[in-house]
Amino acid sequence: AEPWPENAALYQQLKEEQILLSDNASSLAVQAFLQMCNLPIRVICRANAEYMSPSGKVPFIHVGNQVVSELGPIVQFVKAKGHSLSDGLDEVQKAEMKAYMELVNNMLLTAELYLQWCDDVTVEEITYPRYGSPYPWPLNRILSYQKQWEVRRKMKAIGWAGKTLEQVLEDVDQCCHALSQRLGTQPYFFNKQPTELDALVFGHLFTILTTQLITDELSEKVKNYSNLTAFCRRIEQQYFEGHEKD
Amino acid sequence: SLEPLPVAGPDFGALGEEAELVEVEPESKQEILENKDVVVQHVHFDGLGRTKNEIIMYEIADVFKARNLIDVMRKSHEAREKLLRLGIFRQVDVLIDTCQGDDALPNGLDVTFEVTELRRLTGSYNTMVGNNEGSMVLGLKFPNLFGRAEKVTFQFSYGTKETSYGLSFFKPRPGSFEKNLSVNIYKVTGQFPWSSLRETDRGISTEFNFPIWKTNHTLKWEGVWRELGCLARTASFSVREESGHSLKSSISHAMVIDSRNSSILPKRGALLKINQELAGYAGGDVSFLKEDFEFQLNKQIFWDSVISASLWGGMLVPIGDKPSSIADRFYLGGPTSVRGFSMYSIGPQSEGDYLGGEAFWAGGLHLYTPLPFRPGQGGFGDLFRTHFFLNAGNLCNLNYGEGPRAHLQRLAECIRWSYGAGIVLRLGNIARLELNYCFPMGVQAGD
Repeated sequence: AEPWPENAALYQQLKEEQILLSDNASSLAVQAFLQMCNLPIRVICRANAEYMSPSGKVPFIHVGNQVVSELGPIVQFVKAKGHSLSDGLDEVQKAEMKAYMELVNNMLLTAELYLQWCDDVTVEEITYPRYGSPYPWPLNRILSYQKQWEVRRKMKAIGWAGKTLEQVLEDVDQCCHALSQRLGTQPYFFNKQPTELDALVFGHLFTILTTQLITDELSEKVKNYSNLTAFCRRIEQQYFEGHEKD
Repeated sequence: SLEPLPVAGPDFGALGEEAELVEVEPESKQEILENKDVVVQHVHFDGLGRTKNEIIMYEIADVFKARNLIDVMRKSHEAREKLLRLGIFRQVDVLIDTCQGDDALPNGLDVTFEVTELRRLTGSYNTMVGNNEGSMVLGLKFPNLFGRAEKVTFQFSYGTKETSYGLSFFKPRPGSFEKNLSVNIYKVTGQFPWSSLRETDRGISTEFNFPIWKTNHTLKWEGVWRELGCLARTASFSVREESGHSLKSSISHAMVIDSRNSSILPKRGALLKINQELAGYAGGDVSFLKEDFEFQLNKQIFWDSVISASLWGGMLVPIGDKPSSIADRFYLGGPTSVRGFSMYSIGPQSEGDYLGGEAFWAGGLHLYTPLPFRPGQGGFGDLFRTHFFLNAGNLCNLNYGEGPRAHLQRLAECIRWSYGAGIVLRLGNIARLELNYCFPMGVQAGD
């Protein structure tokens, strides 16, 4: 396998004006994972990152002449190059790790998408202006409506369309509770060494804690669990201080 | 970039260039009427339904001015052609007779036009063949919608490479059909394997055509939502970087002078087309000035052979600091420009995907002769021609900071050219089929 090149790059939407909560969380998870593997990567912001991605989802990495998107495939790709964080785990632990990652994706990520695209106030005040910001009128409106229609259709398919915001926040709380229980007093989910699960959880929780939304209800749910906030701070200090977080 | 489907559709009903005015020989027994003065007293119309009178009046006004019989016949024939080109009648017959009735003058004539209007709604099914692709086109047409030759057309095209649909509204100015307005709404999808690119355009355009002396002008505003994407997972990263959405709002002007006798294998005449487009000043996020021209000259020389010279070129200048988009750049190469090179495969490229260029020129010198030994002369054999050609061209990006001298230098270096011979078959008035043997020369790395 080829060695990791110097010019590896990660692509996401524009950080200040455009990127949304869910995409920011996914991108941060990948960045954390690569930091934990000690693989250098540059973050490049492009307005059309979502459309550049082969799967339509951000972030994606451009390594050599390969393009890989989303955390799952990126973990596989990095493993093929000989770097892995979960090699030390036995089969039972690996299954457990996969299960918790599924939990985060099904609960936390979906809740973020719900809040962004199905909560009318957030949609009007935050999502529409941000999502369409790089484009001129009327394209900004068209693209926002199109994306909202897609997300709403997905919500209907998984049965979340009928949920209220309170129910969604309850789900977030339950998810955080499960994570908090599993983490306990350990530094990482699998004791001494971080794994991709840690990267994923960090990506989502840190973004929820630091993103300004209409209300603080979402971040409050996370703040209820002190070991989770400590976990986020720990990873931030260990892997992100001393780099420009861009 | 993509063009919406043409409003008028394929042109089958026009006066073919082979048709000539039929001269009627008077029989020797009958009185020679040629020089006899006549007056056209009445012009009747049979069969008008929803067509409004004003537009008819303009087309037949000249008939009243005829002064002798041959003139009447000629002007009536011209009026008939004018009425047919309005596109609202299925059939127009002309009857010339002496005047009857109380107010009839001894040399008075009555001209009667018997017309059959087109049905309110017609459907059509065509197949179109373009540059190496074919498609089936379903059309719905509402001719003469409000009585003044307005036309609403809906077309749906399903092809080997693209699918598109469009709705257009066409209104000519009564009295001068060449002055007309059309409004189109369309969605066109295209696939460009030479660039590993797919493009979907959804847009609105309004177009105003008008003649000035011998030239034809078109003024157009167009607003297009363009979506670019990779055609395959293996597309180069340069093409991947261009994926996404953009909005182009542009005004363009085109001038055409065409004195050729045919557009497929012309025997004589010249063509000059000059086109400019300015984008970005009426909205949208794409900003550029684009100029391109095409020139062609045909001359018949000895033995029924035709020599044809053509030159075309263009330039794209991005305005502002955004680089140009792959959808706006020029492409070169292939059987219609520089033969011997793959379709649009000359110029800047990245990992096998051709990115187009901001400036280009191309030229060709062709000699068409009848087939050697003229098999099938007078019939089928006339559709074939042997063809000797010399093509050349260049496509590159210009550094706009340098002066025109440097630009000309860049365009003059690394010229690609080719020469060869082949056979051309003419398909009606719409297409030509070529089979050539080419020697490409001046090939640059990557072409």
